[in-house]
Amino acid sequence: MKLSIERAVLLKALAQAQSVVERRNTIPILANVLIEAEGATVAFRATDLDIEVLDRAPAMVERAGATTVSAVMLHEIVRKLPDGALVVLAADAAAGRLAITAGRSSFSLATLPREDFPVMASSEYATNFAAPAPVLRRLFDKAKFAISTEETRYYLNGVYMHVARGPEGTVLRCVATDGHRLAQIDAALPEGASAMPGVIVPRKTVGELRKLLEDDEAQIAVSVSETKVRFATPQVTLTSKVIDGTFPDYSRVIPQGNTRKLEVDAAEFAKAVDRVATVSSERSRAVKLTLEDDRLILSVNAPDSGAAEEELAVAYDADRLEIGFNAKYLLEIAGQVDRENAVFLFNGSGDPTLMREGNDMSATYVVMPMRV
Amino acid sequence: MNSPAPNIRPVIRLLDEAAINRIAAGEVVERPASAVKELVENALDAGARRIAVDYAAGGKVLIRVTDDGCGMGPDDLPLAVARHATSKIDGSDLLNIRSFGFRGEALASLGSVGRLSITSRPRGEEGHRLVVEGGRMGAVAPCSAAPGTVIELRDLFYATPARLKFLRSDRSEASAIAEVVRRLAMAEPLVGFVVTEVVEGEPARVILRLDPENGDFFDALQRRLTRLLGADFTANALRVDVEREGLHLSGYAALPTYSRGTSVQQFLFVNGRPVQDRLLYGALRVAYFDVLSRDRHPAAVLNLSCDPERVDVNVHPAKSEVRFREPEAARSLIITGLRTVLAQGGTRASSTLGTATLQALRPEAPRVYQMDLGARPSFTTLARAYEAQAPAYPPPGFAEMPSARVEPVAEPSSAPLGAARAQVHENYIIAQTATGIVIVDQHAAHERLVYEKLKAQRDAAGIPTQALLIPEILELSSSDHARLMEAAEALASLGLVIEPFGGQAVAVREVPAILGQASAKALLADVIDELGEQGDAPSLKARMDAILSRMACHGSIRSGRQMRAEEMNALLREMEATPLSGQCNHGRPTYVELKLSDIERLFGRT
Ligand SMILES: Nc1ncnc2c1ncn2[C@@H]1O[C@H](COP(=O)(O)OP(=O)(O)OP(=O)(O)O)[C@@H](O)[C@H]1O
Ligand SMILES: [Mg+2]
Repeated sequence: MKLSIERAVLLKALAQAQSVVERRNTIPILANVLIEAEGATVAFRATDLDIEVLDRAPAMVERAGATTVSAVMLHEIVRKLPDGALVVLAADAAAGRLAITAGRSSFSLATLPREDFPVMASSEYATNFAAPAPVLRRLFDKAKFAISTEETRYYLNGVYMHVARGPEGTVLRCVATDGHRLAQIDAALPEGASAMPGVIVPRKTVGELRKLLEDDEAQIAVSVSETKVRFATPQVTLTSKVIDGTFPDYSRVIPQGNTRKLEVDAAEFAKAVDRVATVSSERSRAVKLTLEDDRLILSVNAPDSGAAEEELAVAYDADRLEIGFNAKYLLEIAGQVDRENAVFLFNGSGDPTLMREGNDMSATYVVMPMRV
Repeated sequence: MNSPAPNIRPVIRLLDEAAINRIAAGEVVERPASAVKELVENALDAGARRIAVDYAAGGKVLIRVTDDGCGMGPDDLPLAVARHATSKIDGSDLLNIRSFGFRGEALASLGSVGRLSITSRPRGEEGHRLVVEGGRMGAVAPCSAAPGTVIELRDLFYATPARLKFLRSDRSEASAIAEVVRRLAMAEPLVGFVVTEVVEGEPARVILRLDPENGDFFDALQRRLTRLLGADFTANALRVDVEREGLHLSGYAALPTYSRGTSVQQFLFVNGRPVQDRLLYGALRVAYFDVLSRDRHPAAVLNLSCDPERVDVNVHPAKSEVRFREPEAARSLIITGLRTVLAQGGTRASSTLGTATLQALRPEAPRVYQMDLGARPSFTTLARAYEAQAPAYPPPGFAEMPSARVEPVAEPSSAPLGAARAQVHENYIIAQTATGIVIVDQHAAHERLVYEKLKAQRDAAGIPTQALLIPEILELSSSDHARLMEAAEALASLGLVIEPFGGQAVAVREVPAILGQASAKALLADVIDELGEQGDAPSLKARMDAILSRMACHGSIRSGRQMRAEEMNALLREMEATPLSGQCNHGRPTYVELKLSDIERLFGRT
């Protein structure tokens, strides 16, 4: 294999590949990126056995072929090369080496044979559809803060992507919850998606997917089977196993009868929460909200470090209410609101609280209170 | 003990009938060691400064105790061996006992179970000897003797062969004798002791030699304990000197990190008298309850002293049990006194750990890189390529160093635990202090902090809880279910709110907020285990603490989590501010410290 490629193009392709590689894996081949050159294209493939990313880039291929080298090391080398350099990759299978030359720099990296590289078995995808990048971006971005990191409830370690009945018809929906709060984000159902099986997209995949969604104009090809999900742009294909588990019936925990309504400027609210929480050094900093007559008082009382209080003018005309929350949860939930006011719907001080962005019914957040 | 000065000779008198009846009659001598105990106690009561114990054949053939105490005159000798003759109390006040002896029974008993010979010479007088055999007293005869008393007991139990049969091997009787002397020697650091084994009439082997210590009581005791328990003990022991309402607890208690697998290093005394009291040993256990796992035992040498009127020593024939007028006061002084002392010694982890670390760190020849064939997938040509790819050292600048991250962050390292410089293996924080380095086990340390915080929250406004959006439902066995529901109210006060959920299921509704995203299921499983294990746990509070300790584990930073420099430093600062942060809830250390001098020693620089 021998090819030459523009440094910037190579760097971009490698960036995605090397981020999939697990730093602490014990299987040497998994630290490597598989380089395959053919025609006018070079493809870089990296995997951690759960996720596979395939990056294609235009290159001048002198001799077709394939090899594998350390993804991190190759990426580092290319990163340190001067901008605008033309990089030549030449594999010497007999010596087990890959030569990298650019200008007057030359490197030689040990290779492992391509046959050893575990390529993810291709599978039949039951559903294929296309979705605009911004739509997927919103679905996952707004849900991912609620993904659980707790490993025993592994089925919560991802975003549940499925087809659901929303208030205005069938939608493509992403839900995530960690058992303390929940995010439910809806988008118009793309054509061809209605028969899609619900899948739990793992946290790491959500992170990798994000890199494919930067371009507002891009259409993402989405393929879903019971066990795998694939997102593809013309350059990059991200394939991932999905979490083998059943996502809990979340609809039952979304409160329907919450009537005490609070409307508050989300940014103001977040700033106030952040300010009063400063006095507590606890990991689970509790903020108490006291609501009465268009007034919201946020207070924190940390016995060992201090106390703080702040008042906000809000719209609230229900009965007086006192309710406590983990400050971090309030901040994260308020952080989801882009332009509108945050609308909170409370029931009692021990009951789940609902939050919406203005009148937008396509995003629903639920957060459980803290008892202090 | 308040012993009479050696030169003021007390008067021995017969107790009247009433007093005799008030004295618990009992088996005084059941084995050689108990005879030794009686004789050494007598010597101590006589104000001896040096006591020698000789024995042959585990004490079965000969026991001889020589002292330099006040001695007895010719008139005293027959009285000394008479039953109920004592110089130590006058019978009117059995509640005010300041000496080891008070019954006037020991010598009489010894005279009836063996051939007893007493040679005694008060200072400035002549020496005399009296022999008693099988309970029959001989005549008092003048003889030459050194000032003090020599009591010889030969052929113990010769008249009662049945008794003799129950004795153990010479060796184990001998070790019991040494043990008795060791215990008394702890109570009397100012007195010198020598224990010698006699073979064929000749001193053959010195078993124990303790020179009289002098100076300040605590210093004397510390030196004595160093001799008896080893330098390790004293290096890791905190001085205990607490007083409350006329009760005074003094001695040394070891750091939890110096705990033992058994209770062999627990020595308790009441007014200088060794005791085996359940109440007191129980209190010792409770004092360490929080900082030791169940299978570890604290090490301590403690004397509880009080006005003799407040404690009845006459409840056990061997005087090894006592009865307090106010047992709760004694118990609570031990518990709270020790806890205070331990809390003050809080961030001081066991220094032997540092030494152990050094021993483990012996320089090693560089290892040849070896592949772990078992854990490797069977890629055929892998071996060759991999070998070629594995450099002796990771090339600088490229391959990430094995999971260590170095933090250049400069924080004032005057803090006791220093500034975090690196995290290795995602579980150990290396911090630089003014005088060396500290290695912290992040999980253990954090677990301790969470536990202390949970307790503080509980004792303040109550533990804040996080309600669960999706309650965790658990199917339980009927016994677990019953046990859990019975404890439900108590658990709710600890922030764990559970409800019955039909049949044998329970739903977890709320968990302590500090535990964050902890798995409610695993948490509950642990709590059930804990409830199951605590059948006989000391008190509700101790039980609840044990549960909190279990819970804390679930809220702790796991091993294997990367920490940022700020996080690590925050952890160190929090450890410094938290009492008892030197050990985790199971008594393992949370950090070890290596002094620069230790490190230099490793490299042979000193
Ligand atoms: N080593 C000794 N030096 C001086 N006097 C002694 C010595 N041993 C015993 N005596 C005297 O003999 C008396 C009797 O001793 P004995 O041990 O039988 O009784 P006790 O010590 O008074 O009470 P107890 O039975 O509780 O030990 C003592 O009260 C003491 O006056
Ligand atoms: Mg006596």
